[in-house]
Amino acid sequence: MKKIFKTQLNAAVIVLIPACIGINYLGKLFASFLKLPLWLDSIGTCIGAALGGPIIGAICGAANNLIYGFTTGDNITLIYALTSLFIGLVVGIMARIGFMKTFPKALLTACAGGLAAVVVSTPLNILFWGGTTGNVWGDAVFAATQAAKLPLALGSLLDEIVVDVPDKLITLIIVFLILKGLPKKLTTLYDTEETIESLD
Amino acid sequence: MAFLEVEHLKYRYPHTKKLALDDISFTAEKGEFIGIIGENGAGKSTLSQAFCGLVPQFYKGAYGGKVTVDGIAAATTPTAELCKKVGLIFQNPFNQLSGAKDTVWDEVAFGLENFGVPAEQIHERLDKVLHQLDIWQFREKNPFDLSGGQMQRVAIASVLAMEPEILLLDEPTSQLDPQGSEEVFHTVELLAQTGITIFMIEQKMEKLASYCDKILLLHEGKQIAFDTPEKIFSRPDLAELGICPPYVTRYCVEQHIFRPDGTYPVVVEDVKEALKRDKERKVTLPQLADTVLAEAPENRFDVRNLKFSYTEDHPIFENFQLSLDQRPTAIIGQNGAGKTTLVRLLKGLLKPSAGTILYQGEDISRRTVASLAGQVGYVFQNPDDQIFKYKVIDEVMFGPLNIGMPKEKAMEKAMEALALTELTPYAGENPYDLELSQRKLVAIASVLAMDTDVIILDEPTIAQDYSGKEIIRNIIASLSEQGKLVLAILHDMDFVAQCFSRVVVLAHGQLLADGTPSEVFVQEDVLKKAALDMPHPLQLRKALEQIQ
Amino acid sequence: MKTISLYTNNGSWLTQLHPFTKLWYLAAAICIPLLTGSVWGFAVMIIISFVLLKSGRLIKKALPLIAFSFTIILTIFLIHGLVNQQNKNVLFAIGFLRFYKEGLLYAAHIGLNILNMLLSFAIVVLSTRPSELVDELERKGFSPRFGYIINSVFQIIPQMMGTMHTITDAQRSRGMETEGSLLVRIKAFLPLISPVVMSALTATRERAIALEVRGFGAKGLKTWMHPHQKTKADRIFSWLCIAGLILALAGRIYLWLS
Repeated sequence: MKKIFKTQLNAAVIVLIPACIGINYLGKLFASFLKLPLWLDSIGTCIGAALGGPIIGAICGAANNLIYGFTTGDNITLIYALTSLFIGLVVGIMARIGFMKTFPKALLTACAGGLAAVVVSTPLNILFWGGTTGNVWGDAVFAATQAAKLPLALGSLLDEIVVDVPDKLITLIIVFLILKGLPKKLTTLYDTEETIESLD
Repeated sequence: MAFLEVEHLKYRYPHTKKLALDDISFTAEKGEFIGIIGENGAGKSTLSQAFCGLVPQFYKGAYGGKVTVDGIAAATTPTAELCKKVGLIFQNPFNQLSGAKDTVWDEVAFGLENFGVPAEQIHERLDKVLHQLDIWQFREKNPFDLSGGQMQRVAIASVLAMEPEILLLDEPTSQLDPQGSEEVFHTVELLAQTGITIFMIEQKMEKLASYCDKILLLHEGKQIAFDTPEKIFSRPDLAELGICPPYVTRYCVEQHIFRPDGTYPVVVEDVKEALKRDKERKVTLPQLADTVLAEAPENRFDVRNLKFSYTEDHPIFENFQLSLDQRPTAIIGQNGAGKTTLVRLLKGLLKPSAGTILYQGEDISRRTVASLAGQVGYVFQNPDDQIFKYKVIDEVMFGPLNIGMPKEKAMEKAMEALALTELTPYAGENPYDLELSQRKLVAIASVLAMDTDVIILDEPTIAQDYSGKEIIRNIIASLSEQGKLVLAILHDMDFVAQCFSRVVVLAHGQLLADGTPSEVFVQEDVLKKAALDMPHPLQLRKALEQIQ
Repeated sequence: MKTISLYTNNGSWLTQLHPFTKLWYLAAAICIPLLTGSVWGFAVMIIISFVLLKSGRLIKKALPLIAFSFTIILTIFLIHGLVNQQNKNVLFAIGFLRFYKEGLLYAAHIGLNILNMLLSFAIVVLSTRPSELVDELERKGFSPRFGYIINSVFQIIPQMMGTMHTITDAQRSRGMETEGSLLVRIKAFLPLISPVVMSALTATRERAIALEVRGFGAKGLKTWMHPHQKTKADRIFSWLCIAGLILALAGRIYLWLS
């Protein structure tokens, strides 16, 4: 258990976090530029989680939304800091127990991340916007459930699932590919097990 | 006890088998200027990072032996402490700024803030160091808006502000344009006179020859020699060690000119001395040998009445004319002269606002970049702007497949390109695991494989050592033999004089000179106007003509 | 250099206020209407925020932010006006679309809440230099490591955007199409994003070294070069906000008890 949450806060990890937040921003920008029905705004958070562990993942996620919320005035983002935090945490835990090593396992991580997003976001959606997510496809589902007189919470849950699970699948596939390509010289910097061996 | 002591230092990076440093031992005293040379991968940067404790504390791995700075053990003292004594500057000016400060002033103050130096003292030190490095006028600017040379001076200032006793300069000019390099070298010269101990890793041997008290020569992690520049550069085995001695030394070897102690001179002054001593001595003056192409020139590009500007009121080119044939051509000039703009126009990445650009008689302004890709290849300066595949071979095949080459042919062309860039053993490797100099060759290979008639290279020699430059020289020669036009933006004048049949000098969007290297480089007024250096052979010639 | 921060130093009194003062206002503006629980609470705070933005000459810059949230507010009105579960009384109809009073009231509540938050945030965001806020937080004991993260994000994003441009050119030079059908654009996604992401990550190694050799994380207290002293205006403004908060809270408790 201790090993899963083991975190170092050295300079290498500290500079990783802003890079990850930048990557989140870029992913989001691309998704809107290509008009994809996805967010793609947690690629960086997942990279941070996979490299630095669950705590770093959670920090990446939360800091991401807090920074954008406080500086670009996009306070809608701010509310979802909690969601991002949990995505980072869950993906980090999955990565530490070896669920980023092979492609099928990475897909399971994606599902776990997606579910974390759904579980945390749904109450927030209901609390702040009465159940919608602001994503066209998801909101269409929500409108349909409400027209069919299904409970609001269920409708909102479905809305989230439709949006978040495919998004996290694509995100984690991209993350998996990126991690596979990272040079060893870099990834060892984040390895908490690494020690200095003596040659004397 | 010496100020810096290195005893039997050994080091191996994690997950590697070979020792990066293998039994290094030497000492240095306060105020010495020491050069560290060796080919890429010899262990130069690793050694310099061992002085400030990054090796092994930052990288981990396996460590043996001892480094002591002023009595402090570098291996166990945190870098955040040791940096009060040892300052480190490295190649990339961009990555060594803190990345968190939005003015030059705050950037330089960053280190002092971390140590809790009182505010008044920070003001005093900054006043001094910003003036010393001549960046006072930029203090309110965002450091990332500065040019490479200015940025590198900010980096040096921010380390100097911490008043270290040893300064480590790890190829500080290797990624800068000529003007930027000159600015930094000028700074280094001034610093050397202040009595600070300097270690400098550098590929420009001429510079080391004139600055250094001693040079440490490394090869594959081993210490080959630690001696005076004259002794080091007089070694007969330098070529095997991947070192090309300064031009002066090469000339003296050829002409059998010696110093009184039997070594070869390494600086111009020593050659003059030697010739003054021996008045009877007649020497052949150095000169440039132009390469002449056997075939008759065929026209490739025709630029007519070109006009171009990025913004309304600042035209880069106005009424610009240029014809290019298949002779390998170097475009030289300072930053902002319009070199990159010109090649981007030729490549179709930019469109002229007036005038025409003809490629083999056809106007290219109506063609898309992607459709021109099969005829004109362009290698960008930074390989990291294009590499995205996880195997070198896949990266090299990306372009050929894009332009519709069948898979087998693409593979064949890719293998040819890898052979030419001497990357064949790395075909299955991840490009990100390679060094920058090799990644640059991957980028070149990825364009060569497209088998285009024109190949444009943007600063191909940056970050290359002697053997890397030799590879590029071969590439240029081999492409020209196939009748292809090689067009290169370069700032290494010796390399230009050696490898190109034609030189085009640009300044402020104007064509200042155009001809063979021996025609262009003798026009001192042109070089002065374009703020360019003479190639070293001609510099030496000029100096020797004065005494003969 | 382009920045993602919306702050500009226009010299108005809002930019001169201490960052914490503005944070107090933010807390008050968001909490007071929620504590009172009435639509009027929102209306009052929205008007105050507007007045403050006006006096700080920031209205023009706040408008795009409001426009940005407009689509979300519109969706909420549409969905709840049409299909909210509590809908009983039709308020009006456009063609076959019938809008209900209950749903629209509910949507109005949410919409006002969004608008209120947006405006109060706009005051902080448009008039506060991010690095100043970070400095002041650090002086109050906030970790300099986290302070670094925040400041660094502002530098890293414009850099990455700049690189994107060069990367697009480099890949087009190798014959890759970037414009055309959705499929072409999706195929272009990896060759375009991968180099930025990879170089951003690989650059962290050198950046970390750069921080190490500048004493980042050294023990002991650091120095802050630009401390922002609180003025009388700061004190008055903060206390007004705190008083408002206490009043609203007291009102809420009183309502509970009675």
